[in-house]
Amino acid sequence: MRLHEHEAADIFEKLGIPVPRRGLASSPEEARLVAKDLSYPVMVKAQVLVGGRGLAGGIKDAKDEEELEKVCGQLLGKEIKGLKVETVLITQKVPVEREMYMGITVDGFEGKPVVIASMEGGVHIEKAAEKSPGAVASVSVDPFFGFHPYHARGLLRQIGMTGPLLGKATGVLTQLYKAFSRYEALICEINPLAMTPEGSFMALDAVLEVDDSAVGRLKGVIPDPKTHLENPLEKKGKEIGVTYLDLDGDIGIISSGAGLGMTSMDIIGDKLKPANFLETGGGITEELLYRCMELVTSKPGLKALLINVYGGINPIHEGAKGVVRFIKERDLKIPVVAKALGNRQEETWEILRSGGVHVVTETPTEKAVEKLFEVVGMV
Amino acid sequence: MGVLIDDNTKVLVQGITGRIGSVQTKWMLEYGTNVVAGVTPGKGGAEVHGVPVFDTAEEAVRETGANASVFFVPAPFVLDAFYENVDAGIKFIVIVPEHIPVHDVMKMKETARRSGVVALGPTTPGILVPGKGKLGIMPASLFAPGKVAIVSRSGTLSYEFAGILSDNGAGQSVVVGMGADPVVLMNLPEILKLFEEDKHTHGMIIVGEVGGAQEEMAAEFIAAHVTKPVAAYIAGKLSPPGKRMGHAGAIVRGKAGTVQGKHEALQKAGVHILASPIEAGHWVKKHGLANNA
Repeated sequence: MRLHEHEAADIFEKLGIPVPRRGLASSPEEARLVAKDLSYPVMVKAQVLVGGRGLAGGIKDAKDEEELEKVCGQLLGKEIKGLKVETVLITQKVPVEREMYMGITVDGFEGKPVVIASMEGGVHIEKAAEKSPGAVASVSVDPFFGFHPYHARGLLRQIGMTGPLLGKATGVLTQLYKAFSRYEALICEINPLAMTPEGSFMALDAVLEVDDSAVGRLKGVIPDPKTHLENPLEKKGKEIGVTYLDLDGDIGIISSGAGLGMTSMDIIGDKLKPANFLETGGGITEELLYRCMELVTSKPGLKALLINVYGGINPIHEGAKGVVRFIKERDLKIPVVAKALGNRQEETWEILRSGGVHVVTETPTEKAVEKLFEVVGMV
Repeated sequence: MGVLIDDNTKVLVQGITGRIGSVQTKWMLEYGTNVVAGVTPGKGGAEVHGVPVFDTAEEAVRETGANASVFFVPAPFVLDAFYENVDAGIKFIVIVPEHIPVHDVMKMKETARRSGVVALGPTTPGILVPGKGKLGIMPASLFAPGKVAIVSRSGTLSYEFAGILSDNGAGQSVVVGMGADPVVLMNLPEILKLFEEDKHTHGMIIVGEVGGAQEEMAAEFIAAHVTKPVAAYIAGKLSPPGKRMGHAGAIVRGKAGTVQGKHEALQKAGVHILASPIEAGHWVKKHGLANNA
C-alpha cells in the first residue's frame, strides 16, 4: 500500500527528518488559507498515487495568490495518469543548492534491505545512476543487526560527503531506515533531498510503500488502507479477499493463481482483450466463487468469461457450486468456459456442466482459450 | 533418492490439526510420504490420520526423529514457528502459506543462511518427487515419474507444466515450487544447482514470471554451470505494468524484471524460450526427454 505524500511526510517529520512546512487543500479557497500561513512562493503538489508525477505536470509553483488560484484550478479535479486529483499539498518553496537522493528498498534476490544514497537526485535519478555510477552508492543490511549511524557515514563518504554536512545527512539516513523498518516498507525514499544554501537538508518529497501483507498488523499505526484504492471494483476485490485488476477489454478472467491468470491473459491477448483479471489465491469456497462471479460480471460489456483453476489447496468442487448458483440465480447470458483440474476434478466438471458451463478437460490453457474463441464465434 | 526428498526424509507437519493441514496430511500420506509427526500447540497427544501430534517441534523431533517440515499455519504465526523448527534441528522446511510480511521473510532467509537450513517458499505448493513423496499441496494426479525437473515461481503453473509433460509421455524427476513472493527462501540458481547435480534429471524447465531478478541471476548461473538442456517460460508479457518499485528498485537491479529482459538473458545463456506452456510438450520430445526415448 503506497501512502500519499502528505502521509509519508508526516511520518518522516515525526522521526526528525526535516520536511518543509505544508498544508492540504481540496479547493482554491483552502489553498489560499494554507499559503497565507506559509508565505509565498509555494509549491502545489497533486496528491495522486502515481510515479513520475512531476514529469506528468502534477507539481507546480505559485509566486502569489493569483497564480495559486490558477494552478489549483489546473490541478484540482483533473486527471493525472488516469487518477483524479482530489487534494493538493501546498508547501513552502525551499531554496535548493543541490538535489540529492536517499532510498531504501528490499533486494528481493538477497532478501535484505538495501540502502542507497546519491549526490544526484530529482526526476532523472535513474539515468544519473546509469551515467555516473560513482555518484551512487548502496549497502545491503543485515535484517537482524539493522542499519546504524556508522553504516550511514560509510555510505555517505563513498559519495563524497564531508564536513558538517556528513553528520546531518547521517541523521536523515538513519531516521529514514527507522521509517522503513517500523512501517514495514517495500520502498522508503526521499527524492529529491534538498541541500539548502545554509547547509541543511530538507525532504522535498516523501515516498513510503507499506507491504500489503503487513497492513493488518500495522492497523492504527498507518493510515486507513480503504482510502488508498482508487478503482471501485479493485476495492471490492480487496473486500472479498481476492486480487482484482480492472482492464479495458471484454473477456473476464478468474484464475486460482497469479501465474495461471497471467498466462491466460497472455494467450487470450493474441486475439482478444481481457476485461479484468481476478486471482482467488488459496481460499476458494462456494461463497467466494459466487462473489467472484458477481464482481467479474459487474463489468459492463463482457463477451465471455474464462475460469482457469487447479485443485491443489483449493476445493474446486465447492467453487464450482458457487459458479453454477450464480449462473442460475442471475440468469447469466454470456458464455462461461472453465478448465478445472486436480483434486476432485470429475465431480467439479459434473457440477459445472449442470450450469451450462463449457468444460475443458485437457491440461494446456491454450485448449481453454481455443474453446473461448469458439464460443464467442472467432474460430 | 531424489532432489531434497529421499528415503531418509521424515516429515513433520506444522499446523497439522487445522482444516487444510489435516486434509493435506492425508493426501501426503496417500502419496507415500513418510509423515512422522504433527505439531499444534495445545493439541499434544492427539492423532491426525494416525500421525501423533505434539505441542512443540522440539518434542516432535525428539520422539520421532523428524528432519523435514511443511507449514500449514496462518501467516502471522509463521516466523515464530520457523525459528522453533530451526532450533529443533529441522534441516528442510517448506512454507506453504501466503501473505507473510516481507520483513518476516527477510529474517527467515537470514536465519536459514546462518543455520544451514534449506527452505522453500513462502507461497509455494511445495515439492513433489513423482512416485516418492511430496511436501506441500501439489495435486498428485497431474504428475508422473520421469526425467524432467520443473521449477516454477507460480504454484498453479507448476501443475500446468507437469500436466502437459505427463500428457506428452514425459514424466518428472522432481517438481519444485519456488514461491511467488518478492523474497523467497531458496533462490532459482540454488534450485538449478540441485537439478544439475541430480542423476535422475536429464533436462529442466524454468517457469518464471514478470518482475524481480531471479531469472536474470539464473541465466548467469546456467551459462557458467549447467550442462543439461534447459527451457524457460516467462508469464506476464501482457500484464499491465505493476506498481513501480520506486526509483530504488530500478537503481539496484537496472533493467531486470521485464519479460523481454528475461528472455534475452536466458537466451544468451543457451536456454530455449517457450512462447506458451503447450510448447513444453514439443520441447521434451525434441530433446529425447520423454519416458520411452
